[in-house]
Amino acid sequence: MEVDYSGDIMTLNMGPQHPSTHGVLRLELKTDGEIVADAVPHIGYLHRCFEKHVENVDYAGVVPFTDRMDYCAAMNMELGYVLTVEKLMGIEVNNRVRCLRIIMAELSRIASHLIAAGTYGNDIGSFTPFLWCFRDRETILDFFEETSGARLLYNYNWIGGLMHDIKPGLEEKIIEFIDYFEPEVDNLNRLLSDNFIFIKRTAGVGILSPEQAVSYGVTGPNLRGSGVKFDVRREEPYLGYEDYEFDIPVGLGEHGPVGSCWDRYMVRIREVKESCKIVRQAVARLTPGDVREAVPKRIKPPAGEVYMRTECPRGELGYLLVSDGSLKPYRLKVKSPCFTVMSAFREVSRGAMIADVVSILGSFDIVLGEIDR
Amino acid sequence: MLTYFRNIGQGIMTIVSSMAIAGRHLFTPSVTLQYPKEKWLLPERSRMRLMNKIEDCIGCGQCARSCPTECILVKTEKRGKEEAPVFASDGTAKKLRTYVFDIDMALCCYCGLCTFACPTQCLIMTGEYEYSVYDKDEHIYHFAAEKPLTVAGESRQNPPEG
Repeated sequence: MEVDYSGDIMTLNMGPQHPSTHGVLRLELKTDGEIVADAVPHIGYLHRCFEKHVENVDYAGVVPFTDRMDYCAAMNMELGYVLTVEKLMGIEVNNRVRCLRIIMAELSRIASHLIAAGTYGNDIGSFTPFLWCFRDRETILDFFEETSGARLLYNYNWIGGLMHDIKPGLEEKIIEFIDYFEPEVDNLNRLLSDNFIFIKRTAGVGILSPEQAVSYGVTGPNLRGSGVKFDVRREEPYLGYEDYEFDIPVGLGEHGPVGSCWDRYMVRIREVKESCKIVRQAVARLTPGDVREAVPKRIKPPAGEVYMRTECPRGELGYLLVSDGSLKPYRLKVKSPCFTVMSAFREVSRGAMIADVVSILGSFDIVLGEIDR
Repeated sequence: MLTYFRNIGQGIMTIVSSMAIAGRHLFTPSVTLQYPKEKWLLPERSRMRLMNKIEDCIGCGQCARSCPTECILVKTEKRGKEEAPVFASDGTAKKLRTYVFDIDMALCCYCGLCTFACPTQCLIMTGEYEYSVYDKDEHIYHFAAEKPLTVAGESRQNPPEG
């Protein structure tokens, strides 16, 4: 006698107010018992018309809006934008601005990856690493607050320079923090990364093969977690990243196949250490100078089109800026890294358990502010 | 069967080793700040509520033009020729009479661009952050001290045309 074991497909809505969707994201899960037959992400709950809105704001006024896209790494978001406008206008900034931008961007990357690792642990079920990560992130935010005056949405990178120079003595504080922080990463590894239960929940789950990752256009730590060594800082260096010594960590597949959730998580932890290295080098290269030297009085780029990509903590962030020679952008298109990885989510989570969907989503480290814009 | 017990054993071992790391924090002092009683010392560059020293304001409207959220409303009129000239504290002549200078702090995005646009440095961001109100309209702060002389004296309005 033939028995049809495929049960009825049940639709389960996960979100938009689910704590592990990291924002307002709705996942429409078609479940076959405990197995996810299909997972359709529905985005748009946080849509703020960023791209249309900035067509009515002058160039300097766009920077506060770029902060609000990825609020976990606002420094990197505005850095990408100001580099785009500077490329179009042909502005060269001095060495101090370049070094300070790199210091701030890498500190922001550390802070962002700490959120990623902490909330991921929280999703999986361990709460202590979350608090520890936020404790260290707090110190970085204190540096930002002391320098720019804001803790989260800085408006620090200006077109042609920076809002303020750093306070005297902040370099030593940053180095002191890095000295303290690097051993803390090993502590975090002992606490969370090498935890047997954590490995069981993440290794071998949500495998994104290198071919899939490339074909979906996944970038950043998610791509490197699949074993593809690609980093915009190395491939297309900006701000003088070519002079810095750092490794590009990739997923090695210590636990199970390459490209699992654990690999993606571990790439971030390793990247934090590389960022520490870059900050050390950048602090050593600081030279005196005026940070607002090249800020133009009136920002009026020539008519034209320019594309610039930078490596933000979540992947490759691209800005396509079209200017018609007026005081406001004609069009600003953002290529967001979280959006591309969200398109791969459906294929990765097919066939996983319902509980693993949380684990897969957390390992992608998405920020809905940037997906919806 | 052996794998089953080995997994349980490893699970317990890993929890014990984690607890050993976390256990050190039992002996560290508490960092909690009892907020309304104790307050965090803010750095001097903190960007909180906007404040306009209206006696130094020349009513140029640069702040309103640089604001990305259009939260500043400035209305001015020309001073008459027969009036006594008024000067800001840095000696700039105040040719315009500012009779409306409203800032809607509910709209403000705290970017600080207006403070850099101000030519007389009269618009500043203070470190004041405790100003929650019950009604949204109470977030509109009126700074203007003078009254308009002519009814049709609205020479410039916010947002400016073009």
